[in-house]
Parts: sequence; structure tokens; C-alpha cells
Amino acid sequence: MSQQGSGASSYKSTTVQRGFGRGPMAGRGAPVEKPKDRKKTLIRLLGYFLEFRGELAALMILVVVGVVGTVLAPRYQSSAIDAIVGKEFDAVPHFLLIMLAMYLLYGASMLAQGYLSAVLSQKMTGKIRSDLFSRIVYLPISYTDANSHGDLISRMTNDADNISNVISQSISSMFSGILTLIGTVMMMLWYNAALGLLTCSTVILTLIVTKILTKYMRRYYVRRQALLGSLNGTVEEMVTNCRTVTAYNLQDKVITDFVKTADDLTRTGIIAETIGGSMGPVMNMFNNVSFVVVAVFGAWFALQGYISVGVISAFIIYAKQFSRPINELAQLYGQILTALAGAERIFAVLDEAPEDLEGEKITEDAEGVIEFKNVNFSYVPGKQIISDFSLKIESGKKIALVGSTGSGKTTIINLLMRFYDIDSGEILLDGKNIRDLALKDLRNQIGIVLQDTVLFSDTVRANLTYAQPDISEQALENAVKRTRCDRVIRALADGYDTVLSGSGAGLSQGQRQLLAIGRAFLSHPQILILDEATSSVDTRTEKYIQDGMAQLMQGRTCLIIAHRLSTIRDADQIIVMDHGRIAESGSHEALLEKRGKYYDLYMTQFAGLAT
Amino acid sequence: MIIRYMEKYWYIAILAALFMVGEVSVDLYQPRMMEVIVDNGILGLNNGGVPDLSIVTSVGIKMILVVILGGLCGVLCGVFSNLCAQNFGNDIRKDCFRRIMHFSFSQTDKFSVGSLITRITSDVTQVQNMIQQLMRGFVRCMMFFIAGSIALVSLDADFRIVIAVSLPLILVEIGIVLWKANPLFDLLQRRLDRMNNVVQENIAGARVVKSFVQEEREEERFEKSNQDLMDTQRRVLVLIAMMRPVMNIILNIATVAIIQIGAFGVQAGRTAPGTVMAAVTYLTQILNGMMMLAMLFQNLTRGITSSKRLKEVLTSESEIRDGAGIPARAGTLEKKESGSDKEPAKKITAGSLRNENRGRVTFRNVSFSYPGHRTQVLHDICLDIAPGETLALIGETGCGKSSIVNLIPRFYDAAEGTVEVGGHDVREYKLEDLRSRIAIVLQKSELFSATIRENISIGRPDASEEEIREAARNAQAEEFILQQREGYDTFVAEAGMSLSGGQRQRVAISRALLKNADVLILDDATSALDFGTEAALQKKLREKYRDVTKIIIAQRIVSVQNADRIAVIDDGRILDCGTHDELMSRCPAYMAIYESQLGEGGAA
Repeated sequence: MSQQGSGASSYKSTTVQRGFGRGPMAGRGAPVEKPKDRKKTLIRLLGYFLEFRGELAALMILVVVGVVGTVLAPRYQSSAIDAIVGKEFDAVPHFLLIMLAMYLLYGASMLAQGYLSAVLSQKMTGKIRSDLFSRIVYLPISYTDANSHGDLISRMTNDADNISNVISQSISSMFSGILTLIGTVMMMLWYNAALGLLTCSTVILTLIVTKILTKYMRRYYVRRQALLGSLNGTVEEMVTNCRTVTAYNLQDKVITDFVKTADDLTRTGIIAETIGGSMGPVMNMFNNVSFVVVAVFGAWFALQGYISVGVISAFIIYAKQFSRPINELAQLYGQILTALAGAERIFAVLDEAPEDLEGEKITEDAEGVIEFKNVNFSYVPGKQIISDFSLKIESGKKIALVGSTGSGKTTIINLLMRFYDIDSGEILLDGKNIRDLALKDLRNQIGIVLQDTVLFSDTVRANLTYAQPDISEQALENAVKRTRCDRVIRALADGYDTVLSGSGAGLSQGQRQLLAIGRAFLSHPQILILDEATSSVDTRTEKYIQDGMAQLMQGRTCLIIAHRLSTIRDADQIIVMDHGRIAESGSHEALLEKRGKYYDLYMTQFAGLAT
Repeated sequence: MIIRYMEKYWYIAILAALFMVGEVSVDLYQPRMMEVIVDNGILGLNNGGVPDLSIVTSVGIKMILVVILGGLCGVLCGVFSNLCAQNFGNDIRKDCFRRIMHFSFSQTDKFSVGSLITRITSDVTQVQNMIQQLMRGFVRCMMFFIAGSIALVSLDADFRIVIAVSLPLILVEIGIVLWKANPLFDLLQRRLDRMNNVVQENIAGARVVKSFVQEEREEERFEKSNQDLMDTQRRVLVLIAMMRPVMNIILNIATVAIIQIGAFGVQAGRTAPGTVMAAVTYLTQILNGMMMLAMLFQNLTRGITSSKRLKEVLTSESEIRDGAGIPARAGTLEKKESGSDKEPAKKITAGSLRNENRGRVTFRNVSFSYPGHRTQVLHDICLDIAPGETLALIGETGCGKSSIVNLIPRFYDAAEGTVEVGGHDVREYKLEDLRSRIAIVLQKSELFSATIRENISIGRPDASEEEIREAARNAQAEEFILQQREGYDTFVAEAGMSLSGGQRQRVAISRALLKNADVLILDDATSALDFGTEAALQKKLREKYRDVTKIIIAQRIVSVQNADRIAVIDDGRILDCGTHDELMSRCPAYMAIYESQLGEGGAA
């Protein structure tokens, strides 16, 4: 299982969790994730809406048309029936035609609303995703190192999807809900203020009761969600690690744990879902009670002569019309909060400071003189990784960094590339502080071949010409031959046009390394950083890789994290690192003579081979 | 197959259905009471147009009682359908997990880890939801549908034409939408995967993107996948958004038709005006039932796909089964006695005759190919590894080194020949006994999200603190463990992300050392260690684990040169086997590896 694989599966599990949450009855009473600063996020999200004000305005007009249609159509339907009752059969087709027209108008408006909402939601999430990605590419490495990749990806997918769902499903029902609500309340108050207030208050009372109930229910949903999270975590971990589970006879223990969590989840789930599912019948009961209340008071008012009988029947319809959008809006509210919480997480990434790209431009190729002057650095304050590191590398020299894991070799590379900025001291390129140089220009001068070869799911050609897509075929051929990549390419079905799937998962480690070498070669850097792979490659490929590396290094300033004796011996200078300091430096022979750290290292490692 | 899991809960399911019938009956009856309240009470139709408060209150109270009864039925239906569906889902979930945990490696390979995870998590939920919806929704829809149909048919015959026309229309619409949407869902998933992939690559490969200064190009690449995704998603959304309005339009046209037909009927004296109104209500009920069924149907197809995927898991029998077991003489009990005896010097003397063979590993003419693959990976392997011996396997990637060691703990079974541990065919052992004698460190160090201590002691939860620390010390892990914020109690985060590759390997090695097994296998498990650390580890292995048979797979000569014997593997065959010096003098393949790792000419 590669890094790629585990990343993909962790994404999967997050969507899965979402799937769980949307149980059959999860609509009501389901836990709503609350954004921290609702107002600010909302305002910011509205900013995105403003970019699509045309669509938004059109959507609103359509909603008004739809509402008019729904309000008027029943009137003509009852007129038609009245006509039948009154035996005015000639009038029936007339009413029916108007009614049909109204319904068609309503239907057409709904169709257009659906279309427009879909377009709007996709345009908006597309925009949000683009913005998010643009920020992600420019985030400093320290951010991607420190944050879970799965989490970033889930912002891109789940959170953006939540926003999209709210837009596509809720915006128009929210508009129409509010419109209907306002219309109904006005009509009721206009007919009879007292009965109107009574009707409104019964409905509002119902809402308050449900709100209180929901609060109690939410506890179970939260608990269920937590159990679900731990269950999914167990599944993912144990299935991924199933080889170790088998090798250590852990099956029974793992199963017992799983069964316990699964049973807990089921128990909590039954309670949560039952309560959630009861909300419907309970609400229904309350609605009917409020109907009876309105009917009784209405009848009494009528007997007292306050209102006419016809008004009561109107009120009964209005009471229904009044409670429906309120219920809908209450449900939308939850969805909107979830979407806002997602938006907040997205905005949090957007608010991260990107790398500072400004600085002095480098117009010509650098000479390649690198100097570290008293550099200090720590990833976490207090845990010094690099201490007082000073080193000057002349143009065209090869420097091998050796030392045990954790001695700071990789950190040196991170600092030179400005993946991280140093705490104190300075790093100079051709005498200029790299902090003052334009970041992109600095990095353009440096080529890098890393231990974990990263390839992209694109054609081999695109991967090779990554730095220079418009390079000539001739130059490409030439570079490929020199770096021994031709062998890899010949082995592929479609040669240069082979599309690497899954970030090159189908290639062997060695093939990937060769391609990475070719890619670095084609970027024509003045300075080269090599992190020699420790992991295993077959012998023949290994030889090709060494050849390719040699070609790549020719005439360039090279900084190599070396693991192989041949590389180390060929270096102009060997830097032995220990706990972030330079323990020793010099040529292979000089260091051996010195009988210090390097000598120890050499004796434990290579001496046995030499005899 | 899946439905078998319902057997246990069938009576609960029936109860749920019955209560649902109760709830729907009230739903169907309640509007009539409302009508009485309005017509006879408020409008006073039988009272000369004067509201009759007594009817309003009496029927009102009756209605509240009936509605409460209905609500109660609804709640109870929820209780029982949840009891049934969730227990049903839980049973499946547990069974799946049990099965998967006992899968052989070839089965895990076949399904792939990712797919197994989705099966347990989302597929089970899909099936569970399907059952729940069937119980609640199906009964509900059918009742509305049947009650509506019966009522409508009992009315004027002319109305049937409307049903006969509108019903097929709705069915056709549902069919078209499903037919169009299904391929789109696939496409949507693929595009989503692609976009995810771009993001994933950019986050994981941020260093490469930045060092090649290709941020803008990556933005373009993302924009393309984002655009594709949006287009597909929009098409899906539009399709789904169309479904309901189109149904509504059909329903409304049908209503118009009913009223017109009714008008003709009344004009001709065949129908009463009340019948027309009733017909409209019933039509709405029937068509609403249809719409709900359509939604159910959509979920049903998803549930059926999921249940098929679960069935595949539940019907997979592990082809690697327990053997009859080895008589207690060589069994685990004794092993524990001598196992807890840590001091090597003592162990040798205590290593009585009956134990001398326990670490012996023998391959007799073993051939192997991965199940489902035709190419043979191992050909006629013969090897005898003495107790306490260190045997190294070296060779190119894919030559079959890992396959050889995977046969020892029966991760796979040999196709031909036998593999023996302690003088017994591995197939004779109970799997648990066999595996408890073998400690294997895998290529990829699998760590659990637990503390470092728990990760080390996973094979022996009863190990003492000193034993754990000794294992870690021997594995060269203690130094970095103590540097962690909370030492041994440091929590290993998700997939061990907080530790470097070399550190993870050392935790995994500590775990294997602590297990006190007779056979220790390191399957390329030191690749991320630097030379010094690896050398120190090997020294410890030689000194402290003298009795343990050690099989070491490696790529680097330095990792294997001190082994008692080195087997050079090429294309599934043992080319040669001997000490470093022997091989250097006679095995060209070995010399080639040596050359390539040392640079031309060798060291001075």
C-alpha cells in the first residue's frame, strides 16, 4: 500500500461517514455542526453569491412566478368544482384551462428553478474549489507537512459538496418558503388580527416544543456519530493492517473489540433513529391539535359574530400553509449551518498565508555558489534541529551529506529550497540572501530528486517535460537517452504517451526514479539536490540509475544526501552530520585518516565489504 | 443470502408493518373528521349555516385522540423497524468483519483493502437503510396506492382512463431518469476520483511542484478536472431536479382531466359532484404513492448492488484452514516456558533435545503461484534452515523472496511441495500455533493508532516493561522513542504518520523481537535504516537472539554479508547459497549485485 492508497482510502472513509449520517430518518434532529462565527462566514459566502447575481435574480423571479402559480391554481380548481356543483357546466372548461395554465406555469417555473439551481450551485462550488486549490498550491510546505492530507482533501470534496447541496436544494425553497410565509401572515392579519395571532402562536408553540425535543435527541445523534467514527476507524485500521493482525494472531481480540463497538453503535443508533423517526408523527399530532384549536376558537368567534363563517375555512387553509414553510425552513436551517461550518473550514484554508513570492528576480543562470552562515533552525520551538551550521559550496562541486537518520540532512535541503525559513543566520546563493530572491526564481535554479519519487497521473511525456512543457522533441530524446530513461519508455505500451495511472503506481520503484532523474535533467538546474533512495531497486536498474545520476550531476553544484559508498567516495567533500551540526568534513581519504565519526561509520558499514 | 439475516427478526418486521398500517389508516381517516368539523361544525351545513360548536369540540376531541393513536403507531413502527433493521445490519457487519479478519492473504489481495473497507462501512449501511425503507416506505406507499386505487375504481368507471394513461407516463418518466442517471453516477464517481487524485498528488507532492515551480500549471490541471466534475455534477443535479416537476405536471394534467370528465358525468347525471372531489383526492394519493415508490426504487437498486457486494464477502471461504494440530510435545505451552527464559546462556543449556528442532524451517521442492495468476512465482525451492541460523535472501525485486517467506506462516499455501517448521508440515499446525512461533516484520510497517508501547507489545500484551524496553533497545528503537514527547506512551498517529519510515520499521522490529518466536523473518524491513543503525541491529540479533532462526530479506549487500548463509534468488529459483565469501568467489549474479552497490573496482 502506497501513500497514495492510504490517502485515497481515508478520503473514502470520510464520505462513508457522511453516508452513515444520512440515515433514512436523519433529516430531523440529526446533529448539526455549528460554525464558530456564523455571521462572518455567511457574509463571506454571500460575497460568492454576489458574483452570480444574474442567476440569483433570475431564480428569485422564477420563485415568485412559481408561488403565484401554486397560490392561484387551487382557487380555480375550487371554482371549477363549484361550477360543477352549481351545474354551470359551460364555465368548467374555462376554469380548467386557467387552472391548467397555472399548473403549467408552476411546473415550468419549477423546472427552470431546478435547472438554474443546479447551474448556480455548480458554478459556485467550482469557483470555491478553484479558489481553494489555488491557495493550496501556494501554501508553504510547513502547512502541508503539519496538516492531515485527508483533511485537506475532505475540505475540497465534502465541505464544498455541502455548500453545493444547500444551494441546489435549498435556495429556491427558502425563497418560496419566506414568500409564502409573509403572504400568509399578511392575509391572516388582514382577515382577522385576533384569530391570525392565535393561529400563528399555535404554530410557533409547536415549533418551540419540537425544538426542545430535538435538543434532547441530538445527544444521541452526537453519541452515535462518535461511535460510528470509532467503528469506521477500527475497520479502516484493521483491514489495512490485516497482515499484521494475521501474523500476530490478533484476529480474536480485534473481533471482540469490533463487536463491542458495533453493538454499542447499534444500541445508540436504535434509540437515536427511533427518536428521530418519532419527530414526524409527533409534529403531525401537534399540527392536528392546533387545527382543532383554530376550529374551536373560530367557531366560537363566528357564534359571537366577530367573523364570518367563510373566514374560518380560509384560516384553516392558511394555518396549514403557514406551518409547512416554517417546518421546511427549520430543516433548512440545519443544512445551512452544516454548509456554513464547511464554508468556514474552507475559508480557514483560504486565510492561510501563502508563500511570499516577492523578491529580487534572478535574470541569468546562477553560478551556483551556496553558502550557509551560522544557520539555526527548529521545526518546533525549543527543539533545535540545525545548530550553527556553516558551509560554503563552490560552483560545480559535489557535496555528500552523511549521518544517521534525524541528524538534519533532509532539513538542510528544506532550508535551501526555502520550504522552511531559517530562524537565524543566512543562506546565500551567489552571495545573495535567498530570502531576498524571488521564490520561484530561486527554485528554478535548483533541481531536486527526492527519495519518494512523486510522479503525476499524466503522460510520461508530461511528467518528463514537467518544468518545460514546450521543449523540442530532439532535446527530449537527447535528455532521455543521457539519463537512461529510454529503457523505461521502451518498456511502456504507448511510449511517451503512456498515461501513468495512480501517480505512476504501475511502475517499479527503479523506473520511477529514472523518470524523476530525467525530469530533473530536463529542468536544466544550476544546482542539484539529490536524496539518494535507500530502498531497494534491482541491480540492473540500480546501475542505470547511477549512470543517469552521473549524467545529471555533470557540471552542476550538487548537494547529495548519500547512502551509497560509491556516491560518497566520488564527492568533492563529505559532510558528516550529527545532531544538526557538522561533525566532520573533508574528502573520503582525509576523513578515514582522521579516524573520527566517519571512520566509525565506514568501518561498521563498508569495511566488511572491502575485504 | 442477505435475506437470511432477516430470519431472526421477522416477527419484529411484521410488528413494524402492522403499526405502519395503523399509522397510515389514521392518516387516511383523519381528513374525513376534519371535513366533518368544517362542514357540519363550522359551516353548519346541517344547522342552517350556523356554526355548531358542540360538533366542533366533540369531533375535535375525538380527532385528537385518533391522531394520538396514529402517532403512537408511528412511533412504535419506528421502534420496531429500527430494532429490526439495525440489528440486521449489525449482524451482517459483524459477520463481514469476522470473515475479513480470517481471510487468507490471497482473498485480501483479490478484494483489495480499500474495497473491503467500503463494504463493511458503506455497503452495510446501504443494505440496512434499504431494509428500513422497505419496511416503512414500502408499506406506506402500497397502502396509499391500494386504498386509493380501490376507492377510485369503486367510483365512476370513466376515471380509470385517467389512471390508465397517467400511471404508465409516470413509470416511463421514472424509467428514463433512472436509465439516464445511472451511467452518469458512474461518470461522476470517476471524475470525482480524478479531481481528488489531482489534489492528493499536489498535497503529497508539494515539494516537487514547488521545486519545479509549476504551481500555475497545476492550477490549470486542477481547473480542467474541476470543470469536468462540475459539468457532470450539473447534469446529474438537473436530471434529478427535473424528476419531481415533471411528475407534478403529469399529476396536475390528470387532475384537470378528472374534473372535466367529472363535469361531463355530472352533466349527464351519472356522477355526483362529491364523487368528483373524492376522485381528485384519490388520484393524488395514488400518484403520490407512485412517486414515493420511485424514490424507494432508486434506493433499492443501490441497496441490491451493496447486498451483492456483501454476499461476495460473506460467501468467501478462507482456503487456508487450521490443521489438525501438533501434539502438545511441540506445542505452544512448552514454548512459553522456554520463551520467558530470556537469558541466552541459560537457554542453550535449557534447550533440551526435544526443543532442538523447533526453529528449523525446511522447504521441500516447493512451487508456488499466486491464486488466480498463471505465472509460477517459485520453482522447486529446496532449503533447510537450521535452528539459530541466519539465512539471508537477496535478489531483484519480484524474484520471489517475499513469496518464499510468506509460505512459512501460511499467508499463502504452496502449490507443490511442503514447507516445514520444527519438523512438521505447516499445514498440520493449528494456524494460531504456527503463527505464534513465527515473528515476521513486513515490508510495509503497519502500525496501529495506539501508543508506541502498545504497538510493541501487540503480540504479547502481558510483557513486562523491561521486556518491552529490551526489545526496543535491541531493535535500535529506544533512542528515538525516548526522544518523543511522551516516550513509550507517545501516541502513534494515523498510519504512523508522525514517525519516519526508519522509525516505523524499528517499532515493527521491536514488536517482532518481543514476540519471542522461534523464527524471525525480516522481509526487507530495514530498508529505511541507515547503515550504522542497521549494523547495530544485526549485531544485537546475532548476540541476543542466538537461538532464533533468522531469515532476512534485503536488497543491500551490507545487510546480508554477515549472514551464515546467503541465498541468491533469481526468477523464483535459488541460484546459489553460501557465505558472502563463497558467493563472491563463485556466484556471478551475487558479484554483479556487489559491484553495482560498491562502485567500480571495489573498495581499496
